[in-house]
This record gives sequence, C-alpha cells and structure tokens, in this order.
Amino acid sequence: MDPLIVTQAINVLYGVSTLAVLALGLAVIFGLLGVLNIAHGEFVMIGAYCAYVTQAGGWPYLAALPLTLAVCAILGLAVEWIMIRPLYRRPFDTLVATWGLSLLLRKIAEAIFGLGYQSVNIPLPGTVELLGTEYPIYRLLLIAISLGVVGALIVWYGQSRTGSRIRAMVSNPELAQAQGISVRWLAALTFVTGTCLAGLGGVMIAPLVPVQPFMGLDYVLRAFFVLIVGGLGSVAGLLSGATAIGGVDSVISAATNAANGYFAVLVLAILFLWLRPRGIVARG
Amino acid sequence: MRAASIVVLIAVALPFLLGQFWAYQLGLYALYAVAAVGVGLCWGQAGFLPLGQALFFGLAAYLSGLAFVAFADTPIIAVLILPFAAVAAGLLAYLIGILVFRRSGESGAYFSMITLALVLLAFQIATSWNSVTGGFNGLKGIPGLPGLDDISDVYYVSAVILLAVLAFAGWLYNAPIGVLWRALAQNERRLQLFGFDTNQLKAVAFGISGLMAGIGGAIYAPQQGIVTPQVIGFGLSADLVIWAAVGGRASLFGPVIGTLLVGSLTAQLRDSLPFWEVLMALFFIAIVLVFPHGIAGLAEPLLRRFPPRKRKQTAIVTPGDEAARPPAKLALHDVSVHVGEVTILDKLSVDFEQAGIFCVIGPNGAGKTSMFNAVSGELGAASGSIEFGGAKTSGLAPHRVSALGVARKLQIPSVFAGLSIADNLSVALWSGRAGKLALLDPRLRRWTSPMLNELQSRYPFLAAGARKAAELSHGEQQILELAMALLTEPRVLLLDEPCAGLSPEETAAVMALIRWAAQRLGGAIIIIEHDMSLVKELAQIVYVLHNGALLAKGSVAAIRADPAVRAVYVGGEK
Repeated sequence: MDPLIVTQAINVLYGVSTLAVLALGLAVIFGLLGVLNIAHGEFVMIGAYCAYVTQAGGWPYLAALPLTLAVCAILGLAVEWIMIRPLYRRPFDTLVATWGLSLLLRKIAEAIFGLGYQSVNIPLPGTVELLGTEYPIYRLLLIAISLGVVGALIVWYGQSRTGSRIRAMVSNPELAQAQGISVRWLAALTFVTGTCLAGLGGVMIAPLVPVQPFMGLDYVLRAFFVLIVGGLGSVAGLLSGATAIGGVDSVISAATNAANGYFAVLVLAILFLWLRPRGIVARG
Repeated sequence: MRAASIVVLIAVALPFLLGQFWAYQLGLYALYAVAAVGVGLCWGQAGFLPLGQALFFGLAAYLSGLAFVAFADTPIIAVLILPFAAVAAGLLAYLIGILVFRRSGESGAYFSMITLALVLLAFQIATSWNSVTGGFNGLKGIPGLPGLDDISDVYYVSAVILLAVLAFAGWLYNAPIGVLWRALAQNERRLQLFGFDTNQLKAVAFGISGLMAGIGGAIYAPQQGIVTPQVIGFGLSADLVIWAAVGGRASLFGPVIGTLLVGSLTAQLRDSLPFWEVLMALFFIAIVLVFPHGIAGLAEPLLRRFPPRKRKQTAIVTPGDEAARPPAKLALHDVSVHVGEVTILDKLSVDFEQAGIFCVIGPNGAGKTSMFNAVSGELGAASGSIEFGGAKTSGLAPHRVSALGVARKLQIPSVFAGLSIADNLSVALWSGRAGKLALLDPRLRRWTSPMLNELQSRYPFLAAGARKAAELSHGEQQILELAMALLTEPRVLLLDEPCAGLSPEETAAVMALIRWAAQRLGGAIIIIEHDMSLVKELAQIVYVLHNGALLAKGSVAAIRADPAVRAVYVGGEK
C-alpha cells in the first residue's frame, strides 16, 4: 500500500480516537446531568498545563496523571457545589455560568503562565515501522489508550454498582433518592468524572499541541459538535460523532487547509441540527 | 424626555470634564457600547445568548476599513459606503439566525455554541487571508473620517451614534416587538400558540443586534486607523457579554454603563494589576449566579423614587372585529402519532360540530392532550389528516394553525409570568390582528377590545395593568390564560382541564365564563375534563377516548349507559 495513504489513515484514526476521549467528559456531564459545561475545554487546558509543570519540574511524565486528576477533581467538586448544583434544571443559566467559569480559568492560566505557547516534550520519542511506513510511537500509544479509556468507562458504567446507581438517578432522581441513593453525591461524582476525563485528555495531547490559555475553546467546540452529530446518551453515538467530525476535519484539513476543515465541521453540525437534531444514534 | 435630556447633557459635557485622554477612550468604548446594546437586546430581552458578537463588529470594521483604504482620495465615497458595511453585518446575523433558529432547540445552547464557533472561524480567516485583511498585523493606514481634526470631534461622532442607537433600541423595547421578545424569553411555546413565528422573532432580534455591532465596527475602522483580527475575535465577543452582564443586560442603559465603566477600567488596570481580569471573571460569575440585574439593578430603587410622569393615554379599539370569522368544523381522520416505540394516537377519527361545548374524557394516557397537541401542530402526525373549516392543517407549524383561529388553554396555567397583566393581555390582542410592521408601532400597546372590556368588568383583577402575572394566584392565572385565549376570538377553543386545582368558587366562575364565551364566540369549545359533574353541566356531546382512539360519542346520559365506557372506567379490560 502507498505509505502516504497508510500515514493519513492512521492520522485519521488518531484524530478520531483522541477526539472521542476529549468529547467523552462533555458527553458524560451533558448526557447524564443535562449540563452543558462550556468550561470543558479549560479542564483539557488544565491537564495540558499539569503535564507542562510536571515536565518542567523534572518529574517523570506519568506523574502528571495524579496531579491532573487531583486538580480536576478538587476543582470539579468545588464548581459543582458552588455553581452547578444551584442551577440544575436551569440549562440556560448553567450555560452562562460555565461560560463564565471558562473565562475565569483562562484568565487564571494567563495570569500564571502568560499568553505565550509552552511546549511539552514527547515522553516516548521515536517511530515504529507499520505497514511500510514510519509512524510516531507516541501517537500509536495514544490511539490504544483512547480506545482503552472509552472501553473502561463503558464497562464501569454498565457493570459497577455506582454505574447502576447513576442510571437510576438519570431515569428518576426522586425515586432514586427515595431508594436511599444520595443523588447529590452521585451528581457530584458524575461531574467530577467528566472534568477528570477532560484533564486526562489534556495530559495525553499536551506533547503534540501548543499549550496555551486559549487552547480549550477549540476542544469544547469540537466535542460539542461530536455530541450534536453523534447524538447523546450512547457510546455508539459518541464514536460515530467522533468519526464524522474527526474524519471530516482531518480529511479536509489535509486536502486544503485548517480553516476549511473547521468550516466543514461547522456546516456538518448545522446540517445535523436541522435534519437530525438528535444525532446519528438517537436515544429512545 | 427628562431622562433623555440629562443623558444628552452628560454626553456633551464629558470631554470638558475629563480631558482629551478620556475623551479618546470614551470615543472608542462608546463604539463597543453600541455593540453591547445589541448583546443586551438578544440576552436581556429575547433570552438567547450570542457568544460571537465580534463577528459582526469585525466584519463591518474590515469592510469599512477596506472602503476607506480603496477611496483614500475621495473619502466622501467611503463615508457613503459605511452604512452598507453595517447593514451587511446585520444581514449576515439575520441569515445565521434564520438558519440556526429554523430548528428550535430545547435550549439556547446550540445557538450560543454555533456563534462561538463562527467567531473562531472568522478570526482564523482574518489572520490567514493576508491579501485582503492584512493577516495578523491587520489592515493599516486607514484614513480617518473627513472633517474631524480634534479628538473631541471623534468623541462626539461616537457619542451621537451611541445615543441614536440607544434611542432606536428604546423605541423597540417599548414597541410591541419588545414585549414579544420578553414574552418569548419567558414562554416560547405559549407565544407560538398565540400565532407568533418565534423563530422569525429571534432571527430579527439577532439581525438587529448584528446591525448594532456593525454600526460600531464600521465607525471603528476610520476612528482607529487600523483593524486587526482582534476585533473579530473571541476576546472582544467575550468582553461584550461581560459588559452587558455587569451593567445589567435587561435594561436599556445597562450594557452602556457596563462597557464604559468596566471597559475603560480594564484598559487602565490590565497592566498594573495582573489579576484584574481574573477578578472580572469572578465578578461576572457572581452576577450570573446572584445578581442578574447588574449595576443598572442597583440604580433601580433610586429610580423608583422618581417615577415617570404618567400621561393619560387613550385606548384604541382593535381593528377587524366587525368582520368576525365564520365558525368552522374541526375534524381528525385516521390520525396516528408515535413517540419512539409508543403509539399515542391510534388512527383517531373524530369530528366536532362548528358550534357548541364538547367534552373529551378518557382515562389517563388515553391521548386527550396529545389530540390537542396534534391539532395545534405541536405533535407531527405519522399518518392521517386534520382538517379545519375544510382546509388541511396537519403539517402546519403551531403559529400557522393558531392564525386560522385555533386557540388553546394549557393544562398547567401558562402565562408570561414576568410580564405585566396588561402586556399579557396585549399579546393576546395582537395575536392574529397585528401585521408584521405594526409590531414596531408603540401605539398598539394601547389596544383594547369590547371583549376585553367585558372580561375586565367580570374580573376586575384583569384591569390591574402593571401587576406582574407571576403575582397572581393559581386561580387568577387560570382565568388570565383563559381570558387571553378568548381575546384572540378564536373559531375553536381547546381547553385542557380549565378547572384543575381551583376552589369550588373559582370553578363556578370559570364554568360561567366558558358558557358566556360559547355564546359570545359562537364557535366550538372543546374541553378535556375529568370531573364528571362539570362534564354533565357543560357538555352538549361527550367524546370518550381510550388507547388513542375514539371509544364512544354521545350525550352524557348515553355515555353513562354505554357498557364499553363503563368497562374502561370500572377497569374491566384495559
């Protein structure tokens, strides 16, 4: 096979699988709690800055993981407590409040690290030979980790006790509460799961993108479009949405330029909004 | 008028009071304030939040900048082109509004996210399209507006533009369209059922806000002499939202106060206080969570001490009541409605005479409310057809069905809670009577009708115009909504449990009103009712629905004797 085509194909696979992880946290919070967290991208940014700080401090790259999870969990809990919980069932107000949060987190990052780009070194440099072409090993690893994270979350949600309690909470919060399930804590846990997933995504992609305070905007929009196109509430929807958005973006960007790729994604999202507002895989 | 003259006086005096530097700053921030008024219009009035308003500011700035560069020798031509730059921005906004609002989402999130995406896209285009926009460094060397030498001249241009835009916005807020925007933010479904095309109303609001941003941007280019991608970027878009919120999005002057105050303070403090913008972001969140009226809200108790002088306004009788529309028959043929896997209406065929009071009964889940939803166009029928007066109405949008003379009262009282009683009643009077352009005419707020006078003498609380609908009791809200439905003088009136949750006295009042309405309207009134004692008193014909189909039809006595009906109610076969 033509090595160029193989490279491009793996690039698309890489784009789609990382996008799935980046959208996963947004999907968890939006799908289960009905809260559109516009600050989702800023949690990705926090993850990326955690990776930067870890590396700059001379620690091994994996140390960024506990740091990110701790920061995102504490921040997520505080945010859920202060501004999400009072606004459940007021989706428009949560939208505005989380938009304010995204602004706040960006400005904090700007005040600490400045507006400039920071770069993070790739922890696993080098390439491997794959189907007659050389491919960066770190990207291959990310594809595997992404699929692993999505898979693990599905199993956890479907099999664990906590997962079944969350399902009970989503279908009927009052009844779940009456059954002795602490809906308040479950909702907080769900929110924190979403923010931690975003932070994890940030750690993963940090070495491959410029790390800067505004990086999150792009990711939250892409993640949101994945949910529009794929449909909320199912893994199949998430994956098909990520495939559509990531695929269209990578192919058109590679063929022309990044602005066209972005434009195509936007048009696709608007088309879906009209023609299939519940996405490719509509829930019940 | 008093307030307006004070504002003008302050605007004239400012450069003398504050000096050249501040005159220059205010000249710039007045242009941003023009755009912020547009954000206030969308967010504070119509209830949706544009997150990419710099798109229109920047677009107009680039267009006007290009015109001034191209006609550097004959700047008068550029000045003539300037309005078109603003109009182009407004048209683009209207077009985006039409496209995005065409499918009304469950919440405004989709709209906000798409405007955010569009402004990021515009920024990308502005930075990469070097040959036209000058790329990252921007469009430089734009000549200034001809004839302005002094910084205070530049300030006065901005101030005049801002005051003109404020006057325009103030007029809109006071006109029927402003009332409809506020009603839309409160209860979009109710407004659709009154026959208003809410998607169109939202697109118009967004178009006007785009025009306002465009006006600011078009002047910005010759004023600043340079247009960089920053003016079409995310940062300015975010600032406009913050300024509108901090100043008070719902008031006319709020966004202006916010822009002039926060904007110019930020320009001063950004460099000396590194955490200034962090503080502003925290402040914004606090405003959203606990203090939605912003700075303008602080001034409100103060203003209440100086109430505006009341002018006596003569009422105007609504046009067109003499030629009342003839009654018409409503009929459903084989209508099926499915939601997901569940069949809600199962080949329902039912027809109603053109005049009289009819009751629809049936156990919970029989499809009674769904039948109403299908008739009013909110539930799409998978098969079958609905006819009204011989014309097919199935497939029409709710506002079109309403325009044919189908009015509805919802089960849970559905009024515009944050609006005054007078505004609630006005919206009903405009329904089907006010043309699109008439919605710009503030005199429509003085409309009244013989029916309204009769209702107000029956229920004196309906004449307490300034009271908010939210302050009314449950029973009064039921009567207000029923009165609103009646004011449209419909040919068929659909009432969904109009007596639910009412005391015996209130129930008697509503029953009397329904009987009176049947006489007065001369059309059909179709009532969903569970309480058989009410059905017995009101109904000429009773329709029994079961499992989404018509089970029986006849007089109250005949229905009571029907073994099939008894089986359903007593619980023989389900």
